[in-house]
Parts: sequence; structure tokens; C-alpha cells
Amino acid sequence: MKKLEATTGYKVITDWLAIGDRKPFTFQKETWQHIADGESGLVNAPTGCGKTFSVFLGSLIQFINQHPNDYKTKKKSGLQLLWITPLRALAKDIGRAMEQVIGDLDMQWRIGIRNGDTALAERTRQKKQMPEVLIITPESLHLLLGQKEYAQTFQTLKIIAIDEWHELLGSKRGVQVELGISRIVSSQLAVGSWQLAVVSQQSAPDDCRLTTADCSLSIWGISATVGNLEEAKEVLLCPLQKEGVIVKSNMEKAIEIESIIPDEIEKYPWAGHLGIKLAEKVIPIIQQSRTTLIFINTRGMSETWYQKLLDICPDLAGSIALHHGSIDMELRTWVEENLHSGNLKAVVCTASLDLGVDFRPVETVIQVGSPKGVARFLQRAGRSGHSPDAVSKIFFLPTHSLELAEAAALKQAIKEKIIESRPPMILCYDVLIQYLNTLAISDGFRPEEIYKELINTYCYKDLTQKEWEQILYFISSGGNALQQYDEYKKTEIEDGVYKIKSRKLAMRHRLHIGTIVSESMMKVKFISGGYIGVIEEWFISRLQPGDVFTLAGRNLEFVMIKEMTAFVRKSNSKKSIVPSWQGGRMPLSANLGRKLRETFDRKSSSRKQNQETEIELEVLEPLFALQEKLSQVPKQNELLIEQIETKDGFHLFVYPFEGRLVHEAMAAILAYRISKITPITFSFAMNDYGFELLSDQPIPVDDTNVYELFSPDNLLIDIQRSVNSTEMARRKFRDVAVIGGLIFQGYPGEKKKARHLQSSASLLFNVFSEYEPDNVLLRQAYQEVLDQQMEEVRLRDMLHRIQASNIILTFPERLTPFCFPIKVDSMREDLSSEKLEDRVRRMQLQLEK
Amino acid sequence: MTRLLSHIIHDEHFVISSERTLFWENQRALIVADLHVGKTGHFRKSGISVPQSVYKDDLHRLLSQILFFKAEKLIIAGDLTHSVANLEMDLFRKWRNDFPMLDVHLAKGNHDILDNKWYAEANIQVHNDPLEIGRFSFIHDISDADETPNGPFIFSGHVHPTIVLRGKAKQTLCFPCFYFTNTFCILPAFSRFTGGYRIEPQRGDKVFAIAEKEILAL
Repeated sequence: MKKLEATTGYKVITDWLAIGDRKPFTFQKETWQHIADGESGLVNAPTGCGKTFSVFLGSLIQFINQHPNDYKTKKKSGLQLLWITPLRALAKDIGRAMEQVIGDLDMQWRIGIRNGDTALAERTRQKKQMPEVLIITPESLHLLLGQKEYAQTFQTLKIIAIDEWHELLGSKRGVQVELGISRIVSSQLAVGSWQLAVVSQQSAPDDCRLTTADCSLSIWGISATVGNLEEAKEVLLCPLQKEGVIVKSNMEKAIEIESIIPDEIEKYPWAGHLGIKLAEKVIPIIQQSRTTLIFINTRGMSETWYQKLLDICPDLAGSIALHHGSIDMELRTWVEENLHSGNLKAVVCTASLDLGVDFRPVETVIQVGSPKGVARFLQRAGRSGHSPDAVSKIFFLPTHSLELAEAAALKQAIKEKIIESRPPMILCYDVLIQYLNTLAISDGFRPEEIYKELINTYCYKDLTQKEWEQILYFISSGGNALQQYDEYKKTEIEDGVYKIKSRKLAMRHRLHIGTIVSESMMKVKFISGGYIGVIEEWFISRLQPGDVFTLAGRNLEFVMIKEMTAFVRKSNSKKSIVPSWQGGRMPLSANLGRKLRETFDRKSSSRKQNQETEIELEVLEPLFALQEKLSQVPKQNELLIEQIETKDGFHLFVYPFEGRLVHEAMAAILAYRISKITPITFSFAMNDYGFELLSDQPIPVDDTNVYELFSPDNLLIDIQRSVNSTEMARRKFRDVAVIGGLIFQGYPGEKKKARHLQSSASLLFNVFSEYEPDNVLLRQAYQEVLDQQMEEVRLRDMLHRIQASNIILTFPERLTPFCFPIKVDSMREDLSSEKLEDRVRRMQLQLEK
Repeated sequence: MTRLLSHIIHDEHFVISSERTLFWENQRALIVADLHVGKTGHFRKSGISVPQSVYKDDLHRLLSQILFFKAEKLIIAGDLTHSVANLEMDLFRKWRNDFPMLDVHLAKGNHDILDNKWYAEANIQVHNDPLEIGRFSFIHDISDADETPNGPFIFSGHVHPTIVLRGKAKQTLCFPCFYFTNTFCILPAFSRFTGGYRIEPQRGDKVFAIAEKEILAL
């Protein structure tokens, strides 16, 4: 590190830090050295440990070293650092912090922000003269690629930083980042080659085309710990074709976890999602700490919690707030600012506060219900106790009794440092189609060039020539058509360059970028004026005028819908419907599932030996005793299956503890396999612990066939045959169709005509399935079902595990503590092997009874 | 194979077909609603690549229904076309010209926004007011009809009705359907590129669901 320390840049920066009595952390110095060496890589550090400065100050050092004499006066240096961040809200604070440094150093760098909120005037200014640092979201980066002559913008760029990469990795926005990087890397090289050619007076620039190895661009990801850190780095650096380095901070935060235990476990509900009965116990925690964040898993429940806390402790009024994704941006910003200044005693929030700037006053975090994964739990815990040596304090509040076992499992997992991986997405045709159209609205693209870039990305490295041709065909001729009666128009080919020439189509596409969120949302406004937030359209559509619902902590009476806005007035009614927002139902992670199985095992063996275990497991004793009496508590190497008959029909409960998605898939497959034995129709329900098949006839599962029913053989074929994959694909198709540009969401000023372009994803799904079954987007929907919805890899692992374990069949005479939460869960799916007509006839008979 | 079911209203004989049409025997008239001709074209022109074969198939189905019943008259209860003119409508006109003897009536719907000239050239009689034949009347949107006691029985479209069947163990299925009350009928949308609206029948109403190739009387 000698070399770095001798440089002017290093001296300038460390001198500046010294004024504030600060010294660089080792990982920061390490990163600066790598940046000075032109390396790329990944910085792994928890939030609040100065990870922003690791890359940003590195970039400043680099600049100062390149201009040691005039770094203070040098203006208009062009874009130096592109800072990609997943959240708009983060941009402002990071920008402020950067500006502070620039000001202190007396430099001329400008810091720009580019996202959906950036004003048109500012964008134009940026186009004329790019600031030295541009803080941008993945969507806005793509919009930038949709501008004419975008390549010029990136010519001076030295570093691309991707902040909170762990949040983007594994999502389609992460794929957008990959594509953005690949284009910037190549466009820099292309411009560079051209300049070389001019210098060397050669006529054909191709002769001296630079390769990625010549690229002077550095790429730096900044990420919290994930299970697949190596892969996280590889995904980012793929387009550079470089190995890169991982810089780890050695700072570790101490975490204290405490469960909130119901006074009488016998009276605490066996099932539920809300945990509101324990609200009383939350009040003293709030009162004893400076500021408390209360994490609730869904927006609907957070509304209920907010109300409840105010009801039982009216003193909190004015010092407690609500924060979730459907609340008006302004209100959210207000909450965030007051969190900063310490004016709030408590905030009830959802994943909306998972990310984002640090709120120093936060001393305590309460997690209500299962956090579903170790990483998420850690991240939330980390929101408290912000100075590097403070302890993070998190309380776990169970929403039903069995969840206490999850708390014990979490503690164990954290002790053993088991963190989930975020597998990156591969071959997303929808994002690719959107990207190609984006390039087509700017300077156009040449397929042979882009294909070369694509197979250098992680996401599309396995894209075959054939698939590529299908995609080009899709965007240029729109698939299946009636030649002379077709007027399909989107991307046109001109001298081998793919372009969108219609201004109207280009404008629509521009509005379309960034629509990676799907469910159609409706604005909610007061009839007297004033915006409250957004709510899912399907929820509003079920309301009658006069109905009262809760949003943003207020009771609102629904008046009418006009132009995609729901108008409401204030209501004093005591009763109200709490909206349930779809989505946000994360499955239990594989790691946590495994820990949970181990926990049950530990509990049952300690019972036999009369040993003490964790407090959470001790208080659950009555529940375990009942479960043991009625059925059994499964050991780590056992799979428990319970068969119970009630007035609803015949139930089969299975407990793999693999998360709701795997259970949904397994339920479908099991139902299909059983239905091959006899024609039978099921409906099923599942939660994170297990699933249920319910039928109106006895379910033929016994110890003669049970291992075969859980066999990993023919898994793929059985998945495809289980009717449900169609239904699951139909749901996935909504997202895919929106991103791929099949669903037109309309834009201001085009209301009337736009109505004639509306169709539901479900209808499009039917039409494609019947008339163009090999459509790439349709295929992608099915692939996504396999990869994400079914978590095929995890499913297969589970089946192998089950084959190697004991399957235990019990026949309890009534519902057990284990099955109860599943029974109550209302999300149900159908699967049938009976002929449609027979099924309908039987349903009719039931109707008539 | 087309499934058929006969149904009698005001002593007149009608045949319900699983291809989403209704045939009136006495008048030798095929009754349909919501063809939405040009919908795929309209989407494609705007860069949304819906397969055009849906439209082709719709035309084929209409053709085979006309031939099957040997219909002399085609009554459309509104929404023949989807939006502004495009080439797909030319194909429809060409198709129409292959049946010069077929008498085509259109009870105008909210999507029928083409110039009068177009209908005239396509030899289609457009009815802005309800079309009345004997004790029967045709209109696009039933909510625009003046229902009078002892008035004509009304055929309509517009709604694209679907029906949800529920069974034990919380099973559900959803199908397009014909919806009959004592005074009116709502036909299913003929085009397969149409969404649906779930109807909730009252006591005494009759619903005929179309489950793939089957007709189910409920």
C-alpha cells in the first residue's frame, strides 16, 4: 500500500478525513489502492460502515492523482463516476454527502441525480454538460441509453459503482444493470477504437478494434453479505472479462435478539399473521428506547398495527408514524426526515425501510412475524444501533405460537453465520426485448454487435443464435401474421440497423421503461383535493361507495372512481376494511427452513432427556406436547404426513419446512401423482412450514406408495403436466408481458385511444397459448415458474432429502398444532385429473344440494 | 365439433351453439355479439405483437357457423369492429363480399365508430335504435334498453359475460356464457380475443356456460 500512500490524492483525502478526526478504515484504503491500480471488484461491508466512501473517495483520489496541480480548478471534466442505486430515496442523501466532500476539498466537481423525479430542465442541463458524478437508478440508466448519441456521455467515464448490489442481484433490475454495463463498456471501446484509428491514420477502424482487456473502465459493486459473494462479483464483471477482487470490511456488528413471549402460551393463537395480541408488550419497548422501528411483513397489516398502537397508547399520537410503499412519497419523505432528526418515537414500516439511509436515532427494531430469511433479519437488525461499535437490538414478535420456534432457529443460524444466496436471473427475454427497443429508439443497433456483447454478460451468456433470431423476429415483425393484412409496426431494419422510427412508438417505449413493477395501482385522493397514496386496483374494484377502508393510517370512505383515481372522504366510522396488498409474500429461505427442522429435532430430543433449551422452545412445551400426543414432532431426518378427516373433506398435511413456493409446487406435483392412481380433484393450501391437499374423497396415500409419490424421478415432466404450471405461468406472464411491452398502460393525454389498446395479461396469455405457443415471452413465463415459483433446484434437493429420510404417516383424530396455521391459510389452488365436463357436472350437483 | 342446445323463447325456436352463436330458426338468422374485428390489427399497429391468427380463427369460426346453419341473416348485437379502420377490416370486407346473399344487421355498439360509408360499402345495415323483429329486439348494451312489461324480448352483448362455478373444497372455474333472464339475453363475446365480466345470476335466470366444446345449462 506504499504506492498509494505516496500519492497526492491519498494525502489530500486523508488530510480531509483528519480534520474531522477520522482515519480511513483498512477496507477503504484497500479499495482505493485497487482503484488506483485500475482493478475492478466488489466491496463487502455492512451498511453504515463507510462503504460509500470506499468507492467515492477512491474515485476522487484517482482524479486528483491524474490532475495533481489543477484538480481544484478543473471544471467540466465530463462524467467520471456513474453511481447506480436501487432506490430513488437513497440518491438524495448520497448526493448530499458527496457534495459535502467536494465542497470541503474546494473542488469543482458537480454531483447530478438522475431518476424519475429529475426535472426536465435538469435533464437537459445534464445532456449539455454531464456532471462528474451521476447518481442513477437502473431504469433511468436505460432511459439514458435511449437518448441519441448516448455513447458520447460515457466516453470520459472511469468508474461504474453499483450500490446495494445485493438488493439488485437476483432481480430483473439487476439484469438491467448488467445490460447497461455491457453497453457502456462496448461503447467506450468503440469510441476508443475510432480515435485510435484516427491517430494511426488507418482507414478501417475494425483493424485496430480494442478488446475488453484494453478497457480502462473500473466496475465496483458495493454489497452487504450474501451467500454467493463470488458470483455477485462475477455477474458485474462479466462484460469486462476480468477476475476482479473482493474487499471485505472486518467490521462486525454485535446483535442482540430477544423474543417477545406471550404470557399464556396456551391462549396464544395457533394460527395468524398479525400478532396484534402482543401489541401491549410493544409499548414499554417503544417507551424505553429513543426511536423504534417496527417491521411488519405486509402493508395491510402495518395499517392495522399502527391503529392498534394508537388505540392502546393514545399518548403516542404525533410521535408515531406509518411508512410503506403505497403511501404518498411526500409523506414518506416526511417520515424519513423526522426519523433522521429523532422527532419520532416509533415508525411502523414494511420492507420499504429495509433499504435506505441510516437513521441514527434508531435504537431498537421489532420484527413482527417471520422475517423469512436470515439475511433479511440481519439487515433489519442492522437498522438499529448505528455507530460502528453500538449493539443492534432486535425483538422478535411471533404472530402465532409455532413461530417462536423460528426465532430459536434464527438465533442459531446467526450464530453459525448462515446467510442466503441471491441467485442471479438468467435469460430474461422480456428485459432483453425492452432493452433492444431502448437501443432502437436512440441510435439503433446492429444485431451482430449486440449479440457479441450479450454473450459476454452473465444473464445472456447461454443465449443461442436461434433464440437471438427469434427475439429479433419478434421485435421486427411481431411473430405470426396475415401478410398483406398486417400492419405490425415497431422496430424497423434499415441497412442492417434496427430502429424505431415512429415518434409515437418511441415516446410510448420511453414511458414504458421502468415498469418493472406490475400490479396495476390506483391513486387515492380526497374529493376535496389532496393525494393520499396508491392502492391495488382489484381491491378498489370490490368496494361499494360508502365502504370505509384504511390507508396511510386514516379511515377513508370510498366515494367514486374517476379517471384511474379513487376519490374518498374522511370517515369517523369505527369499522373499516384493511386492504390486503398482493405480493410481498416472501417464502421461507432454505437456510432458515433447515435450521427450523434442526430446531424441532433439538426440541424433541431435549424433551426426552429433560434438558433445557432456548426460552422460545421452553414456552412452546404445551404445544409440542399436544402435537406429540395427537401426531408427532418430526426429527431432522423425518418427513411428517398427517391425514385427517373433517366435515370439509379429507385432508393430507405434509411438513417439509421448505417455504411456501416449494410447497405450492410440491402440492401440485403430489396431487398430480396421486391423481394418476385414481381420478380425484384437490384444492390445496400452504404456508412456509407445510402444505395441505383437500379432497371430497379419501386420498390414497399409504406406506406402500409414499416414497414413490415423493420421488425425484420424472420431476420435470410431472411439473409440466401438473395443471397448475399453467396457472402459475399465467400469473408470471403479467410481469413478463408488461416488461416485454405487450401490455400498454397508457399515458397522459391519450386516454381515449389507449382504452382500445387495453387487454388483461390473462387474456393475452390465453391468446398466445392457443395461437402462438412458441412465443418467447410465453416460454419465459414458464421458465420463471420453474426457476422462481417452483424453485426447481430446491424442490429437487428436497425430494432427494426426503428419499433419504423416514416418512412418518399419522392419522390424528383432530387438527394438530402443526396443521392449524395451514388450514386457516386461505390461499388455495386447484388441481384436477378429472375431465373438465365430469368436474363441472360434479360441481353442479354440489351446487344444487 | 359444435355442440348445440335448443332453447325456446316466446314460442320461437333458438339454437345455442358452443361456438358462441345463437341461431333463430324461423328467421334463419345467426345472432352474435362483440366480434371486435380489427382488434389484433389495432394492437399490432401500435407495436403490441398479438398473434393475428386469433382474428383469422374468428373469421373461420363465423364462416363455419353460417354454413353449418345455412343462415340467411346475420344479426350482430354491437361491436362488430374494435376501433378505427385498419387493414384487418379490409379482410373482413373481402370475407363479407363472399356472401353477397347474406343479410347483415348491426345494432350499433360503443366500439362501432367507423364512417357510415364503410358500413354502406360493406353492405351492412346499421341500426342506431334497437332493431326490432317480431317480438324480439336487438341492442348492444342492455342497460340502454327501455324494458317494458310485455315488451319485446331483448338480445344484447357488450358485457362479455362469464360465469364462475364453485364446488366443494373451494374449487372454482370460469367460463364465457349466455345469460338469459325472463326479459333479455346477454350473448357471450364472439371473438376469442376478449376478456370477460363475471355475472352473478339471480334466481330464475338461466345460464349456459361454454366449457371448451361443451355447453352446460346451469
